[in-house]
Amino acid sequence: MINYQRARTIVGVLLLSGLYGCATPQTQSLLAKPNQNLASRVELLDVPFYAQELHQCGPASLAMALNAAAGQVTMDALSEQVYLPGREGSLQIEMLSATRRNGYVAYLLAPQLSDVLAEVAAGRPVVVLENLAFNWYPVWHYAVVVGYDLARQEIILRSGLEARQVLPLKTFEHLWARGGYWAMLVVLAGQLPATANEADYMTAVVALEKVSNLSRAEAAYRAGLQRWENNLTAWIGLGNVRYAQGDMQAAEQSFRQASIRHPDSAIAYNNLAQALLEQQRYAEALVAVEHAISLGGDAQAAAFATQAQIKNLRAKDSLVKACCAISTRD
Amino acid sequence: MNAKIMRMTSRMLMVSILSLGLPFHAANAAIIGTDKVAVAAQIHTERERIRSFLERAEVRQQMQAQGIDANSADARVNALTDQEVQQVAGKLDKLTAGGDVLGIIFTIFIVLLFTDILGVTKVFPFTRSIR
Repeated sequence: MINYQRARTIVGVLLLSGLYGCATPQTQSLLAKPNQNLASRVELLDVPFYAQELHQCGPASLAMALNAAAGQVTMDALSEQVYLPGREGSLQIEMLSATRRNGYVAYLLAPQLSDVLAEVAAGRPVVVLENLAFNWYPVWHYAVVVGYDLARQEIILRSGLEARQVLPLKTFEHLWARGGYWAMLVVLAGQLPATANEADYMTAVVALEKVSNLSRAEAAYRAGLQRWENNLTAWIGLGNVRYAQGDMQAAEQSFRQASIRHPDSAIAYNNLAQALLEQQRYAEALVAVEHAISLGGDAQAAAFATQAQIKNLRAKDSLVKACCAISTRD
Repeated sequence: MNAKIMRMTSRMLMVSILSLGLPFHAANAAIIGTDKVAVAAQIHTERERIRSFLERAEVRQQMQAQGIDANSADARVNALTDQEVQQVAGKLDKLTAGGDVLGIIFTIFIVLLFTDILGVTKVFPFTRSIR
């Protein structure tokens, strides 16, 4: 009898401690050693709130973040871009791709609570994925972090039907940890995230270049170059954008910068040759492309193709000139 | 007379050169895309291009199976990078989809209520966790 009762107590205590004892290491380290540069209390009152419809937390959260970044999208339009009716939800990858489709840089944050708060402190709402229930019984949910209060150990979100949901930081860490610490930003092209990392930022901009209008991509590359002036991806990207805009002189300048700063980049020399070719500067183009070929590597096949094209066009051009000379004689 | 024939021929030659299949303006053929810089090893070989094409077709089909119409599916697949397509292909029905689907049965309701109050979960809007 006594044994039975004791067993029950032990089980109860174990259950409780098992759940309650779940560690929240990020909250603890954040509160133990607060970052001096981080404001102790922030709330972004200007972030709009859109109450979600059934299963539409993805489109609603994205609409809040996009429109806070000067966008003008409706939840319905976003639903068309991210919602999967068969899954009754939205995929993380499509939250990112839809951001780009609307012309904004989609930046995936490092899995750090301190980074989430730093972005909020810098004025940017953060879209997060939470698992509201358990790993073995997941309830996936997107919400938007718009504020926090370190003294009160609270975080403030726009979530579901709540315009201002206040959660203990620890609770939030549980939900967010179960969501895989997934957090993203919607960044206006031309601005940099406060916690931006060079490689991750460039990856985000390259993806934007593929789908958005060229001037947005150009602004995003320029912003990257202001922080990381030697970045090869940004110089090539800026050149490619200008090339696509038809501004061959500007493209040439960018590719030249890329080749000077990264003399081992065959891509820089190949694209430089292409920009020179478009200006009918065949001799210079040939020098550049031969250098690209000499560097070998994965870009060599493309460089050989460029070389053939230059020779081809140069021959044609001189033929046309010769004929013109004859036909205008006498 | 001779000069006239010469002039005629050269003009005809000029027209025929211009109308030859050779591209007069260099097309984008040889410009290398920015996405090849970051992933230096992934210059598109023919093999990879075909794989990407097939994966995109697969994702498009899966999207339609999940209730997206053909035009939207097209636009949505086009907005994905090659790496993203690779991550999604074949897994559209398994990947995490945030949409708070709550098909709750009573016991789980009770458990969640309990854990909500402990501050470990937050399923119900009406709960307030103890500190």
